[in-house]
Amino acid sequence: MFKKLLVANRGTIAIRIIRACRELGINTIAIYSTADKDALHVRMADEAVCIGPAAAEDSYLNIPSIISTVLTYGADAVHPGYGFLSENGDFAEACRRSGVNFVGPRARHIRLMGDKPRARRIMKRAGVPVLPGSEGTGVTELKDAQADATRLGYPVLIKAAAGGGGKGMRIVRDAHELTRLFPIARGESEAAFGSRTMYLEKYLERARHVEFQILADNNRNVIHLGERDCSIQRRHQKVLEEAPCPVMTKRLREKMGKAAVRAATVVGYSNVGTVEFLLADDGQFYFIEMNTRIQVEHGVTEMVTSTDLVKESIRIAAGEPMGMKQRQIEIKGAAIECRIYAEDPDSHLPAPGVVSNHHAPGGLGVRVETALYDGYRVPVHYDPLIAKLITHADTRALAIVRSKAALREYVIDGIRTNIPLHLKILDDADFKRGEFATDFLERYEHAPAAPKVSAAIERVTAKAS
Amino acid sequence: MEVRELKTLLALMQDFGLVELEIEDKKGKVRLVRAGVAASATGTPPAAVAASSKEIAARAFELRTGKEASKPATSSGNGARGSEPPAIAENQKLIASPMVGTFYRAASPDSDPFVEEGDSVRKGQALCIIEAMKMMNEIEADAGGRIVRILCENGQPIEYGQPLMVLEIG
Repeated sequence: MFKKLLVANRGTIAIRIIRACRELGINTIAIYSTADKDALHVRMADEAVCIGPAAAEDSYLNIPSIISTVLTYGADAVHPGYGFLSENGDFAEACRRSGVNFVGPRARHIRLMGDKPRARRIMKRAGVPVLPGSEGTGVTELKDAQADATRLGYPVLIKAAAGGGGKGMRIVRDAHELTRLFPIARGESEAAFGSRTMYLEKYLERARHVEFQILADNNRNVIHLGERDCSIQRRHQKVLEEAPCPVMTKRLREKMGKAAVRAATVVGYSNVGTVEFLLADDGQFYFIEMNTRIQVEHGVTEMVTSTDLVKESIRIAAGEPMGMKQRQIEIKGAAIECRIYAEDPDSHLPAPGVVSNHHAPGGLGVRVETALYDGYRVPVHYDPLIAKLITHADTRALAIVRSKAALREYVIDGIRTNIPLHLKILDDADFKRGEFATDFLERYEHAPAAPKVSAAIERVTAKAS
Repeated sequence: MEVRELKTLLALMQDFGLVELEIEDKKGKVRLVRAGVAASATGTPPAAVAASSKEIAARAFELRTGKEASKPATSSGNGARGSEPPAIAENQKLIASPMVGTFYRAASPDSDPFVEEGDSVRKGQALCIIEAMKMMNEIEADAGGRIVRILCENGQPIEYGQPLMVLEIG
């Protein structure tokens, strides 16, 4: 097992990794930018090294600085967390070349799955269903995008070939919109990922985003740990996730799970990963992409399967075999994660500031993952995700009640958060019935009048039934 | 001093077996003496411990984050944890490291150090080396003056922004 692990991240996930290392008896080194010198992860690690100024590109994304830290301070493993360099093949390779273990898959897996059109081609060949879309390596010119769109039929989705996280993504409903939006999406992709290559996919209305957690060790054992429904998104950013998917059946889970395992097996994958699908309302499912890292929402899978995915990822990286077999994986109860963002509830713009009166909820089935503390200044430079509130209960209905109670108990003064939005979601009749797709949150983007009307109709129809 | 802080101090006294504790900060001075405790076997009076409220707060924070209070400070230069940057005069500035790496006083193990304490230096003169991934990066004086203090040891691991030397300008 590793002696010293460098946590190449910050915030909530850095703390998650440090806790896993404590249980495994591994010493930890935290890295931090000058803006994070008072951060909780810096205090919790056994050692902490300042690696650069505030800007992410000069610190948490600065490969030479992080590799230098590994070599100077002597770590034998690096955990990249999520975001930042977690899906950067160059970083994984730099670690390996420096003689340090990267907790994650091989660089070639990261690069392969990071090239979305290539991933689609491989999946198609492997018999995993993919959405109709651009063939080959993608398109860079409008005329090629137009040809693809004509072939597929509108509506289509423009996506960045090198992309992820919703950047460079646009829904296009007709030829006019394509002409207007294609250059914009391409420009966004160039700015975010340094690539002008895009691809098109048929757009499925009212589809659910259902992703499968997979785990693979270095001996080609691959299992899946069930699915997560992440349809509650705003502009392709996840807001609330749950496990299991409310409309999943045992049969469908077997089929989709098999496809997810096949996706990982066919590329010789190792360590943690997530295979993303779209689940259409006719029950058909389609591969969209594979994420080659631990995800923000991994906690809901941990709750329903009683597993520790971060410890498993470290163990696998240390060469140990997987701690479990497929038949041992059972989905028990339901778990919901609310992503709490430091943002203005109306404009959704990030709202940094100083936290006061921080009180996190607790109790049976309540798990809070956060780096907040009383007096902490939320910095402006990074992602505004400041806490994850996860609940677990025997039934989905109870998990919803538990989440609402926990959110009401959660006190974070001094900054604005999206907790009010979560309470609205959890009170929503469609959400409670499990009837929603990726367009669900649009209803809370409209003028206040609309929700009030539908609430009145709800009360009337509820009384009538 | 608030009751909460007093309670923390009393707990500290208990933990460390202190009979007398004196604290002075900008808010004032407090002296706590445990009644009825016998003098030590050797007859010497118990030592008074002065601790700043910042250290107390740090200890409370350590307890909250689950770290052992008795853990020694790490040998590497953890700038933000424990060590404060050195106090300097108005006409002095700190030469800080622009990168993570290892500090070397000389260009090679056989060479003489670039500078010693007391040396006069020109703007742009090489003062030391920070080695990162086998590349030697010369750190230059960004102003002319005199090297008053060298803060790091040869071979010491260095973090970004860590003060290396104190330069008196002029």
